[in-house]
Amino acid sequence: MSAQKEMTILTGVSLITCMVQKGKGEAVVAAARSAGAQGASIHFGRGAGVRERLGLLSITVEAEKEVIQIMVSKQQEEEVFAEMFEAGQLDTPGMGIMFVTPLEKAAAYIPPHVLERIEKDRVARKTNRQEIL
Amino acid sequence: MEKQEIPYHEVVQRERFDTRVIDYGELTRSPEAAYSKFRITPMDAYRLLKPYFNDRIGDQLRAVLPLALYLALFQMIILRQHVMDAGVITAGLMAVIIGLMLFMEGLRLGLMPFGETIGNKLPQKSTLPVVLGIAFILGIGVTFAEPAIGALKEAGSNVIPEDAPYLYAMLNFYAERLVLVVGIGVGLAALLGTLRFLYNWSLKPMIFATVLPVLALTVYVALDPQLSPVIGLAWDSGAVTTGPVTVPLVLALGIGIASAAGSGNQSLSGFGIVTLASLFPIMAVLLLGLYVQSAMTVPEILAQAKSIHAADPTWYQVTPMAEIIGGLRAIVPLILFLGLVLVFLLREKMRDSKVVMLGLGFAIVGMIVFNLGLTYGLAKLGGQAGSMIPAAFIQMDGVDESPFYWFSLGIAITLLFAFLLGFGATVAEPALNALGMTVETLTNGAFKKKTLMTAVAVGVGIGIATGVAKIIFDWSLAWLLIPTYLFALVLTLLSTEEYVNVAWDSAGVTTGPVTVPLVLAMGLGLGLAVGAIEGFGILAMASIGPIISVQLTGLAIRLRLYWQERRRLKEEAALDPTYQKGSVNA
Repeated sequence: MSAQKEMTILTGVSLITCMVQKGKGEAVVAAARSAGAQGASIHFGRGAGVRERLGLLSITVEAEKEVIQIMVSKQQEEEVFAEMFEAGQLDTPGMGIMFVTPLEKAAAYIPPHVLERIEKDRVARKTNRQEIL
Repeated sequence: MEKQEIPYHEVVQRERFDTRVIDYGELTRSPEAAYSKFRITPMDAYRLLKPYFNDRIGDQLRAVLPLALYLALFQMIILRQHVMDAGVITAGLMAVIIGLMLFMEGLRLGLMPFGETIGNKLPQKSTLPVVLGIAFILGIGVTFAEPAIGALKEAGSNVIPEDAPYLYAMLNFYAERLVLVVGIGVGLAALLGTLRFLYNWSLKPMIFATVLPVLALTVYVALDPQLSPVIGLAWDSGAVTTGPVTVPLVLALGIGIASAAGSGNQSLSGFGIVTLASLFPIMAVLLLGLYVQSAMTVPEILAQAKSIHAADPTWYQVTPMAEIIGGLRAIVPLILFLGLVLVFLLREKMRDSKVVMLGLGFAIVGMIVFNLGLTYGLAKLGGQAGSMIPAAFIQMDGVDESPFYWFSLGIAITLLFAFLLGFGATVAEPALNALGMTVETLTNGAFKKKTLMTAVAVGVGIGIATGVAKIIFDWSLAWLLIPTYLFALVLTLLSTEEYVNVAWDSAGVTTGPVTVPLVLAMGLGLGLAVGAIEGFGILAMASIGPIISVQLTGLAIRLRLYWQERRRLKEEAALDPTYQKGSVNA
């Protein structure tokens, strides 16, 4: 039995990061998943700087934040981004900010049957294209 | 031929958003801009305030509305009586909601930063005796600031001096000193709790060392028929003190001290202070009762009671001035004390002093509005429901067609009503939700949040039902409390440290600023209606209920785990032929 380990590299991945006030992250994650995101990691953090510039109105904005990070494929990026923007009500002042970063590569465990299916699809597409040409 | 592909989502997005692209550099051109204040248009302010306001008011609505509706509906459907002064009560409940909202927000913005700063900085700059002294004084201060404490003072006017002279004297002539001794009890609890944080003491011996003397004192007081009505007040005040001000502020101080000293099992040491803070005041109030007995004779009390009734209340004793002064007196000393400690002992400046000031303003205004609402909303509604309840099973003057049901059915309905009231109020308590989450993490998921909440709610429900039965049948509270607490102590011996912590704390945590006044008022109204000497004791029973139910649940969980383990071992033995008895050791 060979000791060689397998690694599958994923390309075409984007990372969407969204920071919202503590307690408001759940809705954002739910929206992202409904738009096709696989899952999310959520960390807690604190914002500083911008909130203080609101003066007394700063009490309306929670300093504790939830940072939601979601990896999506390039194809899903726009759709998920828009859904999260809407769910987080980011068009309202003080609600938060979000951004997308392109990822060079990612790796994780991919179940063998999924890999097989992708391989099959690839072959099928190749033959398909050849037929058209 | 070149095929042009337009992704579908791009089309959709064009439809949904009016998208605009700008360069971030345009937004952040000058370096000074990072420190300038935002120019906020009224529209922006509105959009900032709306979600903030909705969240806060929603929290309080969820706490007040179901209980109030439940009481009103019970009165209308089961007792077939209209709610009197419905308009005043509704306005009062609105005041409670707004007052609590402001007060909780003020607590978060204005008082908590003080508590945290002092907790973090004080141990570094002062010696242990100074730290302990401040914890003690803070304990007294937070007791005065506790919103539900006003309900205790409120209760004084309903006691008939001839029936319970000492109780009457304590609630009327000694009202301020009553709150003070309760505060001293909480202060001692804060002091001991802080020591527990520092040295990781086990809670079990502390519980035994506190509960046994309290029980002994209760027996002693119960033997004197003139003095015995004080017991209900004493045990109820324990439940009143552990509210939304005491718990977070004292905990913030304790945790700060423990982490500054670099000791303390963070997850578990947070517990215990609440338990002690609900036990020590019982002792303190009982001792005050003994003091009053030695200081005043019964005829003296009666004479003084008459003279009070004759005199007209002065301007500061009528609403709303009484509430405003009460609110100021509750908060301002605490703020002054915290401020003095901060300035003179720590030489620290508060960050965001404007926000803190705003928070303190919120706290004071919130307290005043809440006090008004307490008088006109909660106390009135609870008292009315309580005084109507007996119509279900006995003939009452002024209530047509009473009794509505056969005696036993009426009693059963009443007790069911009391149980549901306790159960519902407990499940809705946000503090319990937080406790449940902590417990689930602490026990690695063995004790589920839902299990805990159900156990506590059932305990409180049974407790309140028992308390109501106590008032109806005029049972002696001492003979209800002593066996139940002894049983709880036996369970404490059997349970592990975590469950002991959780169980004893859950009682104090669950009696919030809405439940306490409602239940107190209901008990007093009920007591008046059935002609009982005093209507206290419901809260005391509601405190012991969850202590027992949670510990029993904890034991059941441990037993189940034990049996599972046994069965697993047996199955393994059956599957594995080479396995022999005793071979585990080999």
